[in-house]
Amino acid sequence: MNAALERGFRAVGAPLVAVGSHAFGIYSVFAQVVMALLKGAVRWREVVRQSYLIGNRSLFFITVTLGFLGLISVYQVASQIQRILPDFTMMGPAFIQLMWREFAPTITGLMIATRVGSGIAAEIGSMVVTEQVDALRMCNADPVRYLIVPRTIASTVMVMMLTIYAVFIATIAGMVLADVVFNVSPSTFVSLSMVSGQDVVLGLVKALSFGFWIPIVAGQAGLSASGGSAGVGWATTRAVVASSFAVILLDFIISGIGYTVFDL
Amino acid sequence: MSGAAIRCEGLGKRFDDTWVLRDVDLDVYRGEVLGLIGPGGHGKSVLLKCLAGLLSPDAGRVLVDGEDLARLGPLGLARVREQYGYVFQNYALFDFMSVRDNVAFPLRQQAHLPPAEIDARVAARLADVGLAHALDLLPRELSGGMKKRVGLARATVGDPAILLYDDPSAGLDPVTSSKIFQLIARMHRPAAATVVVSHDIDRMRSVCSRYVMLEHGHVVFDGPEAALADAPESVRAFFFGAAHKHLEGR
Repeated sequence: MNAALERGFRAVGAPLVAVGSHAFGIYSVFAQVVMALLKGAVRWREVVRQSYLIGNRSLFFITVTLGFLGLISVYQVASQIQRILPDFTMMGPAFIQLMWREFAPTITGLMIATRVGSGIAAEIGSMVVTEQVDALRMCNADPVRYLIVPRTIASTVMVMMLTIYAVFIATIAGMVLADVVFNVSPSTFVSLSMVSGQDVVLGLVKALSFGFWIPIVAGQAGLSASGGSAGVGWATTRAVVASSFAVILLDFIISGIGYTVFDL
Repeated sequence: MSGAAIRCEGLGKRFDDTWVLRDVDLDVYRGEVLGLIGPGGHGKSVLLKCLAGLLSPDAGRVLVDGEDLARLGPLGLARVREQYGYVFQNYALFDFMSVRDNVAFPLRQQAHLPPAEIDARVAARLADVGLAHALDLLPRELSGGMKKRVGLARATVGDPAILLYDDPSAGLDPVTSSKIFQLIARMHRPAAATVVVSHDIDRMRSVCSRYVMLEHGHVVFDGPEAALADAPESVRAFFFGAAHKHLEGR
């Protein structure tokens, strides 16, 4: 009976301990990143290199994803409007507002979480299993400061810029579809009448948070890799899952605070 | 030989429920080259990482010049680590840096030297290990032996007071292994404490003045080769058997 009870506790407790230690690991990396930023210990040349890798290398990815999202969203909405009240004047403004507030930052964040998060975890994870991270420590280079801080700054800036670009691309794609399929003129579609400064601020705050947290979550997954190439694979999977989950969770929290506290 | 540079007291290390090191007492003195031997998977590399502060002990402590590594904060650990050079088993060269930058890295991080002096010291140390021509190559363009030599150059470029070698001849052919051990002997400074982990006991005999053998995480022998006559049979069998095997392999 006691053995069965112990097995039961172990079965329930082990995953909880694993999640707890994972969360503490992320918090620890977050605290080290913040400390490094406060001290100004930043390798700016590496920030520029990472900005290129995260930003420029994601342009095609974001263009295709947000372009198709714009096309599909406008087609779905316009089809419904056409059946109920064939007045398309509010479609464009509402679409652009929705893009700013929700879709552009969140989809961009999710895309960066998969493309960049997996890359960060794989790169740092392979450095861990080949003892390069230990070599950094032996040379008195703090791995968080050396590897994660530049990626965090670059990702924060580039996700915000990519979000602005994403709104632009989705709007262009939606505008073209609305014009070609539903005969809505571009001047009617591209109207900022429903977009306020608060919508833009909310979208950019989300982008900033996603960009800040993705390298921290992915970097922690990479630093906790162990056991050779299989360990790197697990770390990469965990980085994608955890950073995507972080994007969804942050989106919910920021939207909630935006609606309830700041009336955004 | 002066006082102990590193002292382990009752050192224990475990991974999950398995104790890899148990109650290890060990002194490493300045001026000596200590050979750490034993069967594979019995805790040698783990002990080396504990000596470097890369792994925290689960029991006992590691003292470097009297300071407990586990009690040092980040700044204290950084200060102590400036004394260290570490040659990793799998080279651990930074694959995104050239050979020049790999070897210059510890000097750039620690020594606060002018760039011209760093360049001169890097070039001189790479010439010492026979790689003066490889300054601008990337690690992926090097052979295994060349990677080991770059690792050795990186570990010794700052003339560290404590040098740790983790299986420096692993995966190398006999000729290259001999060259690596010749370099270890040449790089040894009289004031430095050096620990070499290796299975290549025959070649270790040319550089090591004392041996510690680990078996199942315990120290089963600690002394010079001359003391092996009084050692347990299993230790003598391992020592001379391993040396014999390497002689046959030549």
